[in-house]
Amino acid sequence: MAEDFNMENMLDIFLYESSQLLESLENTVLEKKDEDCFDEPAIDEIFRAMHTIKGSSAIMMYENITKVSHKLEDIFYYIRESHPDNVPHLELVEHVLDVSDFITGELDKIRDGGDPDGDESGIVEELDEFLTQIKSGIEKAGEELPPENKYEEPSQFYIAPAGGGSVKYYKASIYFREDTEMSNIRAYTSVYALKEIVDDMEYMPDDIISNENSADTIIEDGFHMLIKCKHSREEIIDAIGDTSGMERVEVNECSQKEFEMGFHEPDQEPIVIELDDKEKEKKEEKKIKTEPVPGDYVVKGKETGKGKKLAKNQSKSGPKQSYISVNIEKMDSLMDMIGELVIAEAVVLQNPDLKVPGLDLTNFQKAASQLSKITTELQDVIMSMRMMPLTNTFQKMNRIVFDVSRKLGKDIGLDVIGENTEVDKNIIEHISDPLMHLIRNSVDHGIESKEERIAAGKNPRGKITLQAKNEGGKVYVIVKDDGKGLNKHVIYEKAKKNGLVGDRPITDFTDKEIYQFITYPGFSTKEQVTEYSGRGVGMDVVVKNIQAIGGKLEIDSIEGAGSEMTLKIPLTLAIINGIVMLVGNSTFVIETNAIKEFVRFSKEMLVREPGGEEYMMLRGECYPFIRLNQRFHLAPPETAEGGDGEEGIVVVLEHEDEFICVYIDELIGEQEIVVKPIPSYIKKVQGLSGCTQLGDGSIALILDIAGLISGNERR
Amino acid sequence: MAEENLEELEALEAASDEDAQKGKYMTFQIGEECYGIAISYVNEIINNIPAIAAVPEVDDYIKGLINIRGKIVPVVDVKVRFGQEPFEYTDRTCVIVIDVKSTMVGLIVEKVAEVITVDEKEIIPPPSLNQTSNGKEKYVFGLVRVGEDVKLLLNPERLIGDEALD
Repeated sequence: MAEDFNMENMLDIFLYESSQLLESLENTVLEKKDEDCFDEPAIDEIFRAMHTIKGSSAIMMYENITKVSHKLEDIFYYIRESHPDNVPHLELVEHVLDVSDFITGELDKIRDGGDPDGDESGIVEELDEFLTQIKSGIEKAGEELPPENKYEEPSQFYIAPAGGGSVKYYKASIYFREDTEMSNIRAYTSVYALKEIVDDMEYMPDDIISNENSADTIIEDGFHMLIKCKHSREEIIDAIGDTSGMERVEVNECSQKEFEMGFHEPDQEPIVIELDDKEKEKKEEKKIKTEPVPGDYVVKGKETGKGKKLAKNQSKSGPKQSYISVNIEKMDSLMDMIGELVIAEAVVLQNPDLKVPGLDLTNFQKAASQLSKITTELQDVIMSMRMMPLTNTFQKMNRIVFDVSRKLGKDIGLDVIGENTEVDKNIIEHISDPLMHLIRNSVDHGIESKEERIAAGKNPRGKITLQAKNEGGKVYVIVKDDGKGLNKHVIYEKAKKNGLVGDRPITDFTDKEIYQFITYPGFSTKEQVTEYSGRGVGMDVVVKNIQAIGGKLEIDSIEGAGSEMTLKIPLTLAIINGIVMLVGNSTFVIETNAIKEFVRFSKEMLVREPGGEEYMMLRGECYPFIRLNQRFHLAPPETAEGGDGEEGIVVVLEHEDEFICVYIDELIGEQEIVVKPIPSYIKKVQGLSGCTQLGDGSIALILDIAGLISGNERR
Repeated sequence: MAEENLEELEALEAASDEDAQKGKYMTFQIGEECYGIAISYVNEIINNIPAIAAVPEVDDYIKGLINIRGKIVPVVDVKVRFGQEPFEYTDRTCVIVIDVKSTMVGLIVEKVAEVITVDEKEIIPPPSLNQTSNGKEKYVFGLVRVGEDVKLLLNPERLIGDEALD
């Protein structure tokens, strides 16, 4: 099975696993950052993550990552074993985050095809200092030994608290034929297999993966393992299996003492008989040189065995979900193909050939409805596959609040609500940056300094709430702070200076309208630019990014009490339900959700203003009225007599509690449509959000309700 | 200006990269004149002009969108682009789909003529200050004589480019 260690796959897995580990590590750390110290599960987790990264980076020969993770592992090993109570917690948090950043940076380099060439010495030094510092309280500096050696001894049993049942100890040796290549990898395969069943094990040489020369050592004097498990000898032999090149496998029971002694006693079994003295010396030398470091005993490879143990020891064992990671390109192409399938389906089912009078289509219709059902389900599945919780995005924000608030000397807590809300993957990618900017703004500009807060009679600790919720086919992401809020007079004055308001007095605007000014390019009420804001990403860019995915930013604020930024974004972009309609010679599509009702047009309902603006009276309410053909300057339909559109239909549309009536010529029907962007060569037209291909292969334009409404207001 | 020249140069270089296509130009007729476009830009030619979905509120030379096997491509009426009277689309009307820096655009032309091979040395720069050219000179980077006729070689980037950027 593990014969073909495909480097490329291994690299992918390494990158994936490591970044996953770092991500969860960062979360744990940030979760616990406000406490006095890490609790045991957290320490365990960090330790394990570092250990795994150390191990796998060593396999991949990324030395700097190995060193850094090793150091941090040391620190946590120490904390875990000695429970020092003088650990400066925040400093430790920062160290962990530094390491995590460093490794993430290196992983990025690897991902981009580069070499991880970052200099680790600075971090390692800092960690060393830190370790010395926390140790100094307990241990005297008299001992010269490097920190690793200190806990070498317990390292052999700390990992697996001996569970119940009769634990047996074995000594196993594998001998390879002399001509076997890569015996170290082969040996590792066995270790890998054994890890599934053993409680604890140790092996020698212990650096089989990182040290290529170990292959020679193994050929020369075999590969030895000390195993602690509850299984019989046969089972162990089974697990070791019969990898090619193996000459013989020996498994013998041994005593606990022998197990605990490990390979450190030179007077083990005379397994080195065949060696002459010189070689024996060499080997001993080697043993000393490769004095094991604490982590090497823990898992020795993949963490599967480890994970199992954990589940046994810890009470919390949630329902286990299994995941595979899929290349996003494959997902996208699947998505595209399903889009094409939906169109193809429409082509078949609405084929003009079917409209021959007198055809009996009963069976066809049956089959067609079955087909429709399947394609609909298929769409649902692919959509749900693309949905991801906002958890990761929100957790990133945690980090930003922590970093920025510490740099600025503010005490700020972040409350996260509804991070499990699921959103289309594409959308997540687009909101991450804007969200980061909003959070930074809140930390930097929104929340006041401690002194100001106390003076204002507020809790000295600032609070930012990050909330996500699902409402009416949209996702709301809300960033709320309890800072000083926006000053509308300042904003108004600034807007006036920038010529945005003309002569209109401040009373002409609603509060929300005034707040919207801060989203205009080049608008910043903050005069000085700090490190965290004004990095070239302004509110206008935030708004642009949000608009690019069909979203909207709303700003609300109470001066002195805080502000609230709400991002309203669509759940998904790709496939929508739409009503197809004809205006003039053009086909348009309106999203079904936006349509309130259809009304047959009659002249009596129309109210005309002297200025030419038209309104529509509907059950006593007055709505703005748009004739799409006039709005878009379309040629009147050839069939229309008189062109006044007496025969038309009025569609009442709603968007964000605003209503608008749109006059169209003819309804065609409802259809699921695959949204495609209008080619960028054509400049954005207000009121259009995209285009789509209809069943007959013709192209329809998708109306953007928000654009229609705001375009109407501006007139 | 220098930058534009550079771009032109780059475009030419790109065109000459592929040996087989070197010096080959697809020629087509618009009004009285015959134009040429480097063949490396040409993706395909659609003989029967497909249904065009008009897009409102755009420049008049952008006729709308067409659907090429699931791909939605904007189409430009070259004659209108040159500031000439629009012409009636007939069954000889073609769409030349070109790909300029990954932007796909269809060019509506009256008639596709032939592919000609042009020696680079034969290309004459267009005479400047031609009052009667209706702004054509913006898009033409050179003239070439083929037998009796003069063909105008087009710079496709300018052709589809944004006027406001010029």
